[in-house]
Amino acid sequence: WNAERRRRRRRRRRPRRRLVSSFCYCLLFSSELWSVNRAWRGLAKGTLSYVTPLYQFRHTQLKSYSRQLSAFIAAEKQEGLAVEVGGLQNTFKVSFSVLRFRQEDPPKTVWCGWLSCINGNPEYLQSLPKDFTCLPLFCSKGAEDLSSLVKSWLQRTFDCCFGPLDINQTTLQWLAALWTNCHMETNIQNLKMIWTLPVLPPLQVTYTVDSDDVLDLWRSTRESSAEKSREAEDEVCIDFSEVTRFMQGLMSHFYRHFRVDLSAGELNQVSSALGSAKVNGKIKISSSRYLISIFSLLTECALLKMPI
Amino acid sequence: MDNSAKHLLQRLVRRIPVSMLKSTLDKWERLTAEKRKSLDFTQSKWIITQELVALYITENPNQGMWHTFQLVEPEDDAHSVELMQFKELFKSHLRELQRNVSVKIKKHTDQAVWIRVAWGDGLSSPNHLKATYVVLYLQTPYVFVNALSSKHKPLLLQALTLSTRHQQIKAANLSGQKLTALRDLLMRQYQQVKLRVEKVQAEASANRHRMARETFGDGMLPALQSAVFKLETKFKGPTNEAMTQRDEPFICSVKFSSSNLLESLRHCASSGIASTPVTPMLSSIPLKGRNYFVITDNVLTA
Repeated sequence: WNAERRRRRRRRRRPRRRLVSSFCYCLLFSSELWSVNRAWRGLAKGTLSYVTPLYQFRHTQLKSYSRQLSAFIAAEKQEGLAVEVGGLQNTFKVSFSVLRFRQEDPPKTVWCGWLSCINGNPEYLQSLPKDFTCLPLFCSKGAEDLSSLVKSWLQRTFDCCFGPLDINQTTLQWLAALWTNCHMETNIQNLKMIWTLPVLPPLQVTYTVDSDDVLDLWRSTRESSAEKSREAEDEVCIDFSEVTRFMQGLMSHFYRHFRVDLSAGELNQVSSALGSAKVNGKIKISSSRYLISIFSLLTECALLKMPI
Repeated sequence: MDNSAKHLLQRLVRRIPVSMLKSTLDKWERLTAEKRKSLDFTQSKWIITQELVALYITENPNQGMWHTFQLVEPEDDAHSVELMQFKELFKSHLRELQRNVSVKIKKHTDQAVWIRVAWGDGLSSPNHLKATYVVLYLQTPYVFVNALSSKHKPLLLQALTLSTRHQQIKAANLSGQKLTALRDLLMRQYQQVKLRVEKVQAEASANRHRMARETFGDGMLPALQSAVFKLETKFKGPTNEAMTQRDEPFICSVKFSSSNLLESLRHCASSGIASTPVTPMLSSIPLKGRNYFVITDNVLTA
């Protein structure tokens, strides 16, 4: 695939293209697969968690895992742990190999999730003991009780643990810049940002900027940097200082009108027609553009959040 | 203690037998009991003499000539320098600059840090009878120095600057015989500066609170929940020339929401998150009783 490289920090080394197993394959296949099977769109939505490295996860065992998880869920159901599967009472199919999706449209997906690691920090990955597979980013979409069951099974099978992934301010700012950049090719309609200010009672500020105007602002912050913005499809380099200048431009326009300093608060949400991301880990991605970059950012978030 | 007195003391100590030295000093009564206890009589008489001189000077600081210096341009961690750290830094810096030097640092009960530096050159050992005395208070920028020769001055000042984590030191144009007087004068002035700064801050806060109340009102406010501003003004950003020169408006909309918007805005003003005086954009909400505004450049300048 054509990797879109993002040079984010001056001292960052090019990450080795560390191949990840199973679930992730689906997301690495870029636009081709995306346009072929629009069922994929549903996958890029849900709540994110981080997950610690999986012990003895073998991507050759996916069929076995499917069977095991299926049995586990059935057993928990029998014990009365309510699992509403809406109509599908006894036949319960768990599918672990994402590649399968190409061939069959699932009749009714009541829950789906994925584990992923995109451009994870190579030093960290190399430091892991041999038997551990690092897929730190977990996304789940569907009934909450099913999510707990799946996590619980993963925890006991692979000796890992889960935790909520707070998408940090830096990542949200990156997403704002990336999505704005996308407006050159795809209409993002507008860029919406939601801040919370620490007053009593808490004040929420929703700042929505017209797509053409925000793109002009983004372009102006890029022109002032040494690198001219290249409009080639597959190679865009964005420096975080450009993202910072972009955000400062937005905040200073706001300040000139309201004399309120947004940086005193916290950015909670960023959204556009291409997707949305919230600080509580809820994510929705509606376009395959910059998918690799977005998941790289989220992987980095997950690795940072991990307790080990 | 002038030189003749020091020499007299030296000769006296040399002549008095060691066994009688302690009792003689007790009878002398010029040193406090505590200080006498700190003397180690197993050391050589030469060292005992030096200690006596040092003790005497610290007990009677209003002699000789003290010169004041001020440390300027503190580094970020200047305020958190504490005694142990200072001691190590000072000794190591000074020794780097002049190898043959003897440094003794002690903290007195009144928070003053006394430093005695005995200088030696390549051949002779440090001379404690001609030592330099330095007094400083760690949380203040003032340093008092006694008996510092011009030869050693740059070395001492550099060591002081580095070990207190400042970038420069300058002469404070304050000298005199009475250390206590110099110290009191400066400390009072320093206290005044600190108090003034605190007062200014308190006044600013009181002002903000007052303006917040004047704009939004006192007590319970009507529980308005949102306000929307549609902005159609030109881009305003201090550092972005390209956007500021643009003719077209920067179209955006801002929605403020809260369980009680007016209270939130009042709190923004009193806490400084919103600069005071409050902009007419926000004060229009309670003043005009509206919560939907379309702002164009004409409206803004009006």
